[in-house]
Amino acid sequence: MLAYLLNLATLMCINAVLAITLNFIMGYAGIFSIAHAIFFGVGAYSAAWVAMNASANIFLVIPVAMVVAGALSLVLALPALRVRGEYFVAASLGLQVLGVTVFSEWKSVTGGLGGMIGIPPAEIFGHAVADPAQFLLLALCCLVPVLLATGVLLRSSFGRNLKAIRDSETAAYAFGKNVALIKTMSVVISAMLAAVAGALYAFYMGFINVESFMLDTSVLLMAMVIIGGTGTLLGPIVGTVLLMLLPGVFSYMSFLPQTEIGSIQQIAYGLAMVLLMIFRPGGIVGSGKPRAAKEKAA
Amino acid sequence: MLLLQLLINGIQVGALYALIAVGFSLIFGSTRIFHFAHGSAFTIAAYVFYDLLAIAQLHWTIAVLGAAAAAILFGVALNRFVYIPIQKHEGSFFTVFVASFGVGIVVQNLCGMLFGRSFVAVSTPLSRSVELMPGLYVSPLAGIAIAIAVLFFFALQMFLMRTHTGMAMRALSENPELVRAYGLSPRRLSMTVFALGSLLAVPAAVLSAAGSGLNPAIGHHVMLISLAATIVGGVGSLRGAACAGLLLGLAENLALAWFEPQWSEAITFIVLFLFILFRPSGFFGRATAS
Repeated sequence: MLAYLLNLATLMCINAVLAITLNFIMGYAGIFSIAHAIFFGVGAYSAAWVAMNASANIFLVIPVAMVVAGALSLVLALPALRVRGEYFVAASLGLQVLGVTVFSEWKSVTGGLGGMIGIPPAEIFGHAVADPAQFLLLALCCLVPVLLATGVLLRSSFGRNLKAIRDSETAAYAFGKNVALIKTMSVVISAMLAAVAGALYAFYMGFINVESFMLDTSVLLMAMVIIGGTGTLLGPIVGTVLLMLLPGVFSYMSFLPQTEIGSIQQIAYGLAMVLLMIFRPGGIVGSGKPRAAKEKAA
Repeated sequence: MLLLQLLINGIQVGALYALIAVGFSLIFGSTRIFHFAHGSAFTIAAYVFYDLLAIAQLHWTIAVLGAAAAAILFGVALNRFVYIPIQKHEGSFFTVFVASFGVGIVVQNLCGMLFGRSFVAVSTPLSRSVELMPGLYVSPLAGIAIAIAVLFFFALQMFLMRTHTGMAMRALSENPELVRAYGLSPRRLSMTVFALGSLLAVPAAVLSAAGSGLNPAIGHHVMLISLAATIVGGVGSLRGAACAGLLLGLAENLALAWFEPQWSEAITFIVLFLFILFRPSGFFGRATAS
């Protein structure tokens, strides 16, 4: 039981980092990306590669993962600078599909469909973090700074610029804001912090393959942010905790057929998304009004 | 010879993509609803057809009619019970998109539970390929797909240009207020748009069920294609969506001459990326991206 709870708590931390970073661009900048799992994946693969080929020291691995993901996020930022709304959704969806193909086909680096096996445990000053309780502590030590960093950023003038862009890109532009630069920076920051979650995940699982970084993951992260409440600090965390508890809840309902639990879970996410959008588009924590992407698609 | 084979396959697939994309584009163009669940209408139609023909052993005309009825019912009900309530309080692109994405997830998993997650195909005498020339195999379905795509597209054009409802639909995309001022109900019109758009996915669904087969995740693929085709063709242009659907089908198949099959979906998106970067208004688009 303790092992189960530790595992759940660790995965919650990792997913919360992802949800927070996704909310950073989705809820504050109004950049609606469905490619977040790709940055998670890039972080995980680069962390795994460094850990297996160089050193498992987290003070080396995590920065490398962040830099690689940050650089790659410029690929996403490129179309993001030019287009809005539905165009950006399509572009990020494209990146998601391309990314999965690269992950599963670039066999010499990512191990193809089989993935990367035998990732050594994370090391801090020569001490290997293999104990689950210690790893949870490490995950918390990553979650808290990410939360603080995004919180501080959002309170700064940068955060106000982001909200201005979300509410009206044209007005922000007219006000002399460098919209392109602000958007690019927010995408890069979000991707870099998502890579931290990727590195943690690679160390925690000890193996990674493409299945963890597919469209389903991006959608799940999106559901976490939306159900919790976009554009709020607490929303993504509430959403993560709720959606991560859901599988446990379903497995207690013994009348459900065991083979269908995965589908039932997905249906619950889907229904929750539909019903929330009809009755409470701001999410559970939100004010009832949606706070993201107010600009109508036109 | 390989290239000719791939070209024919590409046109066959492209004709179906074009039909699906035109349906999506029609809905998006006239109601501004980002109907991501259009792929679900396709999945539902395909599975109803499969169920009626292969499992219930009914005549194929009944199966086709059943598929059409199911798709139309799905589209209209979704508009009535999800999109209209959302638009009543807040109609942002984001809210509608999320809800429609949620519907897509529900439908995909329900189909998986009801029909199983593996590939199923309806085999008909028409699906069997005939060797036209040495090394060149074509099934009669290819010809049917192309003929039906052309037929439906022209019927749609006639409907939009010649009938009152069609003209009102075009007006709806330009100016909903004006439509209301003329005493037409935008709400009833949007119902018609959804019925028509969903109907356009049916021939493609039936032909895919009889040709390449289907699984519950196919709706996703269909949706990606129609989304890409709508943007490559230029938002709001039905002609553009049709051409882009054809182009994407061709690109996907011709790419097989040089790349592994796993890359076909990625190729679609490379085409999309290039368009977004260099020609965001698409082939015939009026509206630019930003």
